[in-house]
Amino acid sequence: MQYDVDVDGRTRQVVVHREGDRFHVTIDGRPFDVSAARIDGQILSLLVGTHSFEVSIAPDAASGELMVRVGSTPVRVGLNGRRRFGQHGEHADAGSGPQQVTAPMPGKIVRVLVTKGDAVAARQPLVVVEAMKMENELRAGREGTIAEMYAQEGQSVEAGALLVVIQ
Amino acid sequence: MGRVIVNKILIANRGEIAVRISRACREMGIAPVAVYSECDRTALHVRYADEAYAIGPSAPRESYLRIDRLIDAARRSGADAVHPGYGFLAENAEFAAACRDAGLTFIGPTPEAIRLMGSKTAARTAAQRAGVPVVPGTEDPLAADATDATIAREAERIGYPLLVKAVAGGGGKGMRTVLDPADLLGAVRAARSEAGSAFGDAAVYIERRLTRPRHIEVQLLGDQHGTVIPFVERECSIQRRHQKVVEETPSLAVSPTLRAAMTSAAAAVARTVNYTNAGTIEFLLDEDGSFYFLEMNTRLQVEHPVTEMVTGLDLVRWQIAIARGERLTIDPAAALTPIGHAIECRIYAEDPDNNFLPSPGRILQLRAPAGPGIRDDSGATAGLDVPIFYDPMISKLIAWAEDRPRAASRMRRALGEYLVAGIKTTVPFFTWLFEQPEFIEGRFHTTYLDEVLKTRNGRPFVEPAAEVEDVATIAAALHAVLAPQTASAAAAPANGAWKSAARVEGLR
Repeated sequence: MQYDVDVDGRTRQVVVHREGDRFHVTIDGRPFDVSAARIDGQILSLLVGTHSFEVSIAPDAASGELMVRVGSTPVRVGLNGRRRFGQHGEHADAGSGPQQVTAPMPGKIVRVLVTKGDAVAARQPLVVVEAMKMENELRAGREGTIAEMYAQEGQSVEAGALLVVIQ
Repeated sequence: MGRVIVNKILIANRGEIAVRISRACREMGIAPVAVYSECDRTALHVRYADEAYAIGPSAPRESYLRIDRLIDAARRSGADAVHPGYGFLAENAEFAAACRDAGLTFIGPTPEAIRLMGSKTAARTAAQRAGVPVVPGTEDPLAADATDATIAREAERIGYPLLVKAVAGGGGKGMRTVLDPADLLGAVRAARSEAGSAFGDAAVYIERRLTRPRHIEVQLLGDQHGTVIPFVERECSIQRRHQKVVEETPSLAVSPTLRAAMTSAAAAVARTVNYTNAGTIEFLLDEDGSFYFLEMNTRLQVEHPVTEMVTGLDLVRWQIAIARGERLTIDPAAALTPIGHAIECRIYAEDPDNNFLPSPGRILQLRAPAGPGIRDDSGATAGLDVPIFYDPMISKLIAWAEDRPRAASRMRRALGEYLVAGIKTTVPFFTWLFEQPEFIEGRFHTTYLDEVLKTRNGRPFVEPAAEVEDVATIAAALHAVLAPQTASAAAAPANGAWKSAARVEGLR
């Protein structure tokens, strides 16, 4: 079985061969001998060689990636190119193309701090969303110009709602 | 004063604190009664209680803040007492009075004490009457119709930098820092609007902001016979946007002499207002060693467990005993003498790598740390959604050890054990914090964390090493290969893990 796995912006070619209850895995040709046991729907116990790792894996609804935790270290992983960029506030793509800022959770727009046509700097607050008793600032991932502003003060929004487009 | 009978307690709260109070009830042979909003039907505090009553829709205003529905639930359950927990109606004098009027014992101070100390300006006056210094500020709230010029003049008199604070405030809501006079009026407007929506009271006042103070607070208990006992201080200087995130006791900044001075000042304030039950006096400790009364919290604090860990006392149990009319029989010297050191981390369903935005959603898997010296106070379990309506704290992780370095090591170990899947949590942030030299050496103040976070520019708190990235890569591929249904028999454990996994699946 062959997979494309994206970690930290780099795609790795992963090939998996099953040999009894062990797996022979290569990452871009580098070989690993792995014993893997599924503990439940989210948890795998891996013995890579003899090194023991407990790994939890769950989909991240906001980004479409897998949220993998190795021990307590979180790693964002895209499987077979499922990773998406530019959807995620400060983690938005710092490269080219329009940047879309979406609501990370359901809430109410309490303030809109910029308007269409405004030039914005990286990390500049754009919209304030109230949820979970707190006001949360959504910020620009990089500098640019506000191409579209969909958020309106007082409006209730669902998670994933497109609020701002930065060109 | 005769003993009051308390056999059944209605807990007017949710989440971890409702579970915490239920546990004390069970240990005392008292029946815990839960209340729940629509989205909390399956919450742990409901499952843990003997009885549970629906009190309305998920929005707090329509359920956990509805005095009428809470009193009605208490009546229907036959409860003889009510514990408010913290937050919601815990510092609401009307609620305490409504309980009293309904013949229910309110496990907390009197409505009069709540009202008096709940007004930050009145509380400052009470502290001054007890001979305890307060931070310079306006004596009274700013009048609602005060002109811009009047507000500016008051601010000028107190001096910059300053804080605009909600009179009814707490937890940093309705509070604004003003460094530049040009920002004053905007800050007053913002604070009023936030205070109005958070507390139903838009009144604000102005207070000087000390530059690098530490937040030191003194827990105390007062019985109905005039005894007030202060406890060894807690330090809560690690704050993000005025919200405490780490608390510990004792404080590295407090010498035995300073402890004696601060705890007796706290007790003096409490005695001045005839305070009963549990309360906390918050102080700011300035760099020169002088301390100022900040406010009093007339309830159990979130961070009460650290005090319990170093004194061996159960504060909730004592709250109930005091409400029953019992005398405090705690040795005052023992309450001031910590055994070892305790640290608490407030674990939130927030994404620390994305500006701490809330990360609500379903908890797919959760395994809390355990073992020597670890306490996890939580209301979260796998299969539950973290609701969007309430504070997104999912757990308080507390580590105790003989001294501070060992308590910190233990906390690091416990953070590494915390397994949560499905939502993001602030665990990676704490992992980072506990490696910072300022934290390790105790060189911090209330704005330390905000200042250092500003310099990080969104860098991940825990950056995976190359080896960890390899393991994550292997795991993602094998996760696909070993889809839950097709896992090999060799990989399937012989115990009941499959059954419990099926149970979790069934809850979706």
